[in-house]
Amino acid sequence: MSVKIDTRPIWVLLGLKALRPLFFVTLAASFLYILGMTTPEGLTPEGQKAIAVFAVCLVLWVTNVIPLAITSILAIVLVPFLGVLSTRETYALFGNEAVFFILGAFILAGAVMGSGLSTRIALYMLSRFGSSPKKLVLAIFLLSAALSFFMSEHAVAAMLFPIVLEISKSLGIRPGRSNYGKLLFLALAWGCVIGGIATFLGGARVPLAVGILNEMTGQTIGFLDYAVAVFPLVVILLILGFIILMRSFPMDIQGVEGAAEALGKKLKALGKVRYTEYAVGVVMLATVLAWMFLGRRLGLSSIALTSVVFLFVLKLVRWKDIEEYVNWGIILMYGGAIILGSSLHKSGAAEWMVNGMVGSWATSPWSVILVFSLLALFLTEGMSNAAVIAVLLPASIAIADKLALDPALVTFAIAVPAGLAFMFPMSTPANALAASSNYISMRDMMRAGVIVNVLAWVLFNLVAAFWWPLIGMGY
Amino acid sequence: MGKYIDKPASLKIDLMLRGIRIEDPVVQAWACGSSGIDILLPRDTLVNIPCREVFTRNSPYTIRRSGEDYFITDGKGEVPVKLVPKPAFCGGSTSTGVPFRDIAASHGSYTVVTPSKRCDFFNRSIECRYCAGNFNVAGGPDRVYTVDEVIETVGAVLKEKASGIIYLSIGFSPGDDGGIEFLKPYITAVKKNFNCLVAVEALPPRENRWIDETYAIGADSVLYNLEIFDKELFEIICPGRAALIGRKRYMEALGYAAKIFPNGTVASHLIVGLEPPGSTCMGIDCLTDMGVVPVLPIYRPSSEKDLRIEPLTTEIILPVYKHLYKAIKKKKVNLNWVRDLSMVTTPAEIKDLVDDSKGGLMDSFYKSRLGMKTAWGLSSLRRKLRVVDKDPEHEH
Repeated sequence: MSVKIDTRPIWVLLGLKALRPLFFVTLAASFLYILGMTTPEGLTPEGQKAIAVFAVCLVLWVTNVIPLAITSILAIVLVPFLGVLSTRETYALFGNEAVFFILGAFILAGAVMGSGLSTRIALYMLSRFGSSPKKLVLAIFLLSAALSFFMSEHAVAAMLFPIVLEISKSLGIRPGRSNYGKLLFLALAWGCVIGGIATFLGGARVPLAVGILNEMTGQTIGFLDYAVAVFPLVVILLILGFIILMRSFPMDIQGVEGAAEALGKKLKALGKVRYTEYAVGVVMLATVLAWMFLGRRLGLSSIALTSVVFLFVLKLVRWKDIEEYVNWGIILMYGGAIILGSSLHKSGAAEWMVNGMVGSWATSPWSVILVFSLLALFLTEGMSNAAVIAVLLPASIAIADKLALDPALVTFAIAVPAGLAFMFPMSTPANALAASSNYISMRDMMRAGVIVNVLAWVLFNLVAAFWWPLIGMGY
Repeated sequence: MGKYIDKPASLKIDLMLRGIRIEDPVVQAWACGSSGIDILLPRDTLVNIPCREVFTRNSPYTIRRSGEDYFITDGKGEVPVKLVPKPAFCGGSTSTGVPFRDIAASHGSYTVVTPSKRCDFFNRSIECRYCAGNFNVAGGPDRVYTVDEVIETVGAVLKEKASGIIYLSIGFSPGDDGGIEFLKPYITAVKKNFNCLVAVEALPPRENRWIDETYAIGADSVLYNLEIFDKELFEIICPGRAALIGRKRYMEALGYAAKIFPNGTVASHLIVGLEPPGSTCMGIDCLTDMGVVPVLPIYRPSSEKDLRIEPLTTEIILPVYKHLYKAIKKKKVNLNWVRDLSMVTTPAEIKDLVDDSKGGLMDSFYKSRLGMKTAWGLSSLRRKLRVVDKDPEHEH
């Protein structure tokens, strides 16, 4: 038992205790108020209900008053309960590819950790970069980003997650308390997020956006065109992101040398590389290669789950051991977020919000870019990247058409910021994995993430204003 | 009229100092071989009066019986009193055959429960010199009563409503925790099974986190008994406490506990009669400054013990008790928790010696059963608000 006695005056403590019930009463009243309002013009009753659920979940996700997964369960319950989507449709959405991709990633990460491979890699990295804590953070940050240029940022996060976890454990830093622990996991998440926008390979959202663009206008965006257009943004974000990271969480360890002796002993104790490590390493390597070269054709989740099956066929892991690595809370959270995003999209609530909130502002090409990039950046924090694109892109292309703006530009304005989610665990699997480590709280992620989010939006618009014209993408 | 007989508080002190002669055979049978007899003086002042020690032979006090009524007389005056019956639970025993009286003893508003009679000071020959085995604490590998046995005993005490406060006591044991690790399962079990207040008498732990834990696991009140305030006398009379804990640590622990526990629930004994009254008064000031309630038991010399000291007189001691009341009032220390004890004159009882006023509405309320339940409820609520689990719990 480890306790602390709060010696603040009793009336302060009583007041704080009363806040929770007051919060829930207020939230319930707000929810009922939105539901009871006269349905605005252009919005369906289902859309109104979806917005009410979205508002409640957004508040609960932001405040973390109840566990994130439970908020998602609330969304899963409320959506069919209010008739936004049918029960069958709602629960079917839980079978989304992203959910199974995350499940596969957890199991793969568990196998890597359980086999001792991640321990070995972590120990090697520590001994390689052990001279400076700052260099270690930078290495994780750049490694995550560079790998995300070529493969899904989700996969990179899943692959590096156990290694970073092992490094943290080797350094003996305390989950939730140590700034250095926060640095390590945010470096992983942010590296993946920033690297993930660099190419088509970073995630499913850009191919999805280009697909919608092509479907609606017949236009397309080339692999290289895209990479060139976002290249300066990626470079500047990497530099400034690292600076913000280091400033947001001042390092609270003097060095990683202290762990060197213990790490050396541990490395020695591991002995030579065992069959299991080789085998898990090979499966992991094959998975990564498949993600890189077959990801789009076979699907990331199918590849991940196939690898999981192989792990069991080869008897490299046992279900009992794997169970402890599967964070069902994160899986529930992500599933709920997908259901919520789909309910907003399918009920027409998202489109109504875009038209109602943005339609009057987006009156010139630059304002369209400015407003839609902001909206994408905002929505991606609470919805899946793909959902943001599905929700925003059709409406924005319609607006661009009205203003004789190149639809490819608005596609960029939504697809790129839709990948720049730094604030919340539910925004992207990289953040979700980082948060699942328990080394970083949602509050920490939000505190530092909001700065990078604002910066990313400003930088994106600066790149759009000054870089794009130079490469023939002016507006 | 006698000198002290008209004031229950001063009479209590004088009776405790001088004892009483019991000549009436009915009263002798009532006392039943105990070293002290529990009597209820006017104003519901409970006192345990020595009646078997040598010094009581010269006492001016006797008990007179007149039909069903009893009076204490000093030869010049008398006051009506009531004999306090021995609690019925004393005749019972646990399912394992241990007499309840071996585990618990009622002393008015509280019942002392001693799960283990072991005190390691005895094994090291550094026991406190005055130790007359008030709580039957001794050295050696004595029987440790199980949690179930203690719970059965406490259940019997509370069922009979013999006391409202369960006072768990432990002697010195090696370790940093002051004995709280040993008492933890007992405190937890008592709190889990009964709605009663729990006081803990232990030794000051080496680290304050144990005091936090003492409060967190359910103790409503804590006593770290310094016993002697004078530094030199402390070292002579309490060699074990001085050598293994130290006077400084007593002060630190008491000061810290006073910040953690509710006002008036942290107490420390200062034995009257083993140091000069001026020193006791300094101790009273020092403790009340920290928000600690000084409890002043009077030393009862016993012929079997090696510590010989002539008992002080009531004339000398009374000002000390008055000083105690004034200091407590001045420092605004709540005196409603330490009250109605038969073995000790409490600050609440001294009140009528100083301002001659009767107890107010709040006094009566705290003495009532509803008052006890309210105190328990408020104490539980306070703990719920104050105790924070430090173990990080991140849920996603």
